[in-house]
Amino acid sequence: MPPESARSGARHKVAGGKTFGARAAAALRPGNAGVVYALVLIVAVLTLLSSQMGRPSYLSPTNVINILDQSSLVAILAVFTTVVLISGNFDLSIASVSAFGAAMALSLVGSLGLPLAMAVALAAGLVCGAVNGLIVQLVGINAFIVTLGTMTAVRGLVLILTDGRTITAKDPEAQRALIALQSGYWTVPHILAILGVAALVVGAAVALLARRTGGSPLKGAVIAAAGLVVAVLDPVLGFELRLSKPTYYLIVIAGVTWAVLRYTVIGRRLYAVGSNAEAARLSGINVNRYRIGAFVLNGLGSGFVGVLFAAKLLAINPTGLQGTELTVLAAAILGGTSLFGGFGSVLKSVVGALILFTLDNGFNVLNLGANYQGVIVGTVVIVAAAIYTIAGRQRQVRRVRDSGAAPQSPEESGVEPERQESLR
Amino acid sequence: MVDTPLLSLEGVGKSFPNGTVALRGARLTVLPGSVHGLVGANGAGKSTMIKIIAGAHAPTSGTVRWKGEEVVWRDPGAARKAGVATIMQHVPLAPTLTVLENVFLGAPGPWRLPRARRREFDRLLRRVHYEIDPDAEVADLAIGERQMVAILQALAIGANLVVMDEPTASLAEGERQVVFDVVRRLSAQGTAFLYVSHFLDEVLSLTDRVTVLRDGTVVEEGPTAAYDEDRLVQAIVGRDLLAAERRAPAPVAADAPVALAVRNLSSPAGVRDVSFEVRRGEVVGIAGLLGSGRSEILHAVYGADSRARGEVLVDGRPVRRGPRAAVAAGMALVPEDRNAQGIVGAFPIWKNISLPDLASLSSARALPREAAEAERAERAIRDLGIVCPGPEALVTELSGGNAQKVVFGKWLYGGARVFMLDEPTAGVDVGAKADILDLVRRFAAEGGAVLVVSSEFEEILAVATRVLVVREGRIVAERPAHETSEEELLMLANGFGGAHDAA
Repeated sequence: MPPESARSGARHKVAGGKTFGARAAAALRPGNAGVVYALVLIVAVLTLLSSQMGRPSYLSPTNVINILDQSSLVAILAVFTTVVLISGNFDLSIASVSAFGAAMALSLVGSLGLPLAMAVALAAGLVCGAVNGLIVQLVGINAFIVTLGTMTAVRGLVLILTDGRTITAKDPEAQRALIALQSGYWTVPHILAILGVAALVVGAAVALLARRTGGSPLKGAVIAAAGLVVAVLDPVLGFELRLSKPTYYLIVIAGVTWAVLRYTVIGRRLYAVGSNAEAARLSGINVNRYRIGAFVLNGLGSGFVGVLFAAKLLAINPTGLQGTELTVLAAAILGGTSLFGGFGSVLKSVVGALILFTLDNGFNVLNLGANYQGVIVGTVVIVAAAIYTIAGRQRQVRRVRDSGAAPQSPEESGVEPERQESLR
Repeated sequence: MVDTPLLSLEGVGKSFPNGTVALRGARLTVLPGSVHGLVGANGAGKSTMIKIIAGAHAPTSGTVRWKGEEVVWRDPGAARKAGVATIMQHVPLAPTLTVLENVFLGAPGPWRLPRARRREFDRLLRRVHYEIDPDAEVADLAIGERQMVAILQALAIGANLVVMDEPTASLAEGERQVVFDVVRRLSAQGTAFLYVSHFLDEVLSLTDRVTVLRDGTVVEEGPTAAYDEDRLVQAIVGRDLLAAERRAPAPVAADAPVALAVRNLSSPAGVRDVSFEVRRGEVVGIAGLLGSGRSEILHAVYGADSRARGEVLVDGRPVRRGPRAAVAAGMALVPEDRNAQGIVGAFPIWKNISLPDLASLSSARALPREAAEAERAERAIRDLGIVCPGPEALVTELSGGNAQKVVFGKWLYGGARVFMLDEPTAGVDVGAKADILDLVRRFAAEGGAVLVVSSEFEEILAVATRVLVVREGRIVAERPAHETSEEELLMLANGFGGAHDAA
């Protein structure tokens, strides 16, 4: 960065010049990280309650691993649904598509073997997503209506495929392959050392890149130093990571999707498309490509989750996974994703899914009676949406107050400030 | 009784919780049966004053008197009940209901369409000398007709004062005349109007008295007869601006290379066999009335209208249809509706500015370099004089003029050579307008080709070197800017004789 712009960068504290600390502070504000605090709070309450009631510790490794495992399928779906929501669309068909993928995989795994059966299931999901996307974008029908239709139609395909009966994988060879895909645990030894070294490498790369472009290497140095500390601590703590396979799938999927949305041109354009499709189009962005792409990805992800589901139960009944699409949407809403597009974070949607399953698990562990569960979960979702809406409105006011140079009230700027902030 | 003002504001101030002071000791006196003009730049406090009168905001200081008595209106309903009807710029009608139902939307009673309403509706129509089908759905009406429905609605509640905020901003010339006639007729019958408009010629011809706001205070007030356009503009801006606006454009060398060539362009959207060329360094104005196809031509050239057929060449090379190809070829579009088409509201300034050219600001064209983006935003803020707290500010927090500059900033550094500007100064205050017109001249001076559409012909004449007059989707005339006049353009745009338009 030439000295002149470096100066002005410091003056305005902008993206490029914004310090690492300022960014971290902004990310930790309740309006941004509220869903994480909510999860911590819920876990704390459940832990206290379970120790009070003399039940096994809520935070025991076994229970934590269980919760992560239980939530992983819904969380994977929530990741892709968030992408569709960010692009400004809506997909109700995911659960049906998953069930369809599961039925495909189970009916073919005996004859074709797992890799081919899985490929067919993924392809089926991809086609469903493409149909959704093409109809929504090229015919121009509201996504809610289209995917309500495909939800029903694909469920019908499941019924045809299964002939209304539960289908199971009977072939022992196929069963073994399915079990290997989904159940069991992977253990990563010396997780601290691995994470530490990874952070060291990333930090060094960031610092070098920043030096080359003339920016401050501070951010990279901080990351590298943190990595070094963690790596050094490893021999002392010797922590190892043991999680179920689906949890690892979730971590990889959520991590990659987050990075693409956060750091690539594709991600930036997806947010632009979702926030204002016409402005994006006139800026030279192929809106249809991004929106159809989001649907296709969602279909593919649903197919994958369907295969995992089939592998988990080794069976699928025709109504399997029914209603899951609403749980997934609830997770995305808990994570603060806007139903109008342009806002959302896949990581927060994952945390939203964790909240739902933590509550679920808590009711079981504490034996509180499943009757109350619906009321509590529903309340949590609405409260979360209310907090996001109100926090968004306050942020708007604060921004205007901070901006001494803006000479006018928000009402006069010509845009309703609430439009983009409400119902997030 | 004539001496008692219908409405008077004395020493009214309004500050917002965020610290913005929108009005300071403002005064306003509206006499019964008069048409009172309220003018001022964007952010001068007009909207705030209207909202106080409508009861949407409570003043923080000062008094409001209605028919001589001090009143405090806590909500818009109270003002409405007292006899103040406010017609906002974007008319809030229920589009799925009929004209009749909309007009009597606020009327009491349990039934949806009592027969008496129809008689009352007929009486209203006779009063304003206007014809409209009471059973038409509002969604099917033209904007001008909706404006009339809003006026009828105001009359139906028996308003003594009708506040109109930019009523003609999106109306065609003929529709304007209808609104003017009705305003004149009703004011003669005793209804008072508070008329807020950017169009100074309207204010001059329509109003009896005028109040000028600047920076939240009333700077001048007096009978309209005492003003002409220059004096009004000076009162609004506080400096002499028209001189800068009317600077004659530099002539273009006849052998300058052709930057944009359009051949036989047609579109179902209303473009009929349009062909023209724009040379480097040239500003070509497209003059036409609303609905003449002037914006549609821009969208067709840019490829935003996918149904358009014809040939578009930039620097002699044909451009594939579609905004992506257009951007790649070096075309830039500043659209008419800034908020809906120009900016991404959820993005800060820097992300908006880098959007069309993001790939070239990215490592390997895939990973945006935020430092480079921020640097470009800084540069745009400096170059264009965008008044903002910094590149992190959301564009939706800026005033109209500054938001428009951000839209210009999107195209400034990405190598765009053909600029297409659709109403670049719409909803922009007078000061920012001069900046934007300067910018248009700069585009051309730096070798760009500029195509500018405007409904204000005066503005076209101020920047353009050549003017194409559009009517019914066709180019009907071409004039060098220094050889024509606003009057001639208006005549041509109206179809030669200007038969059905005296304005």
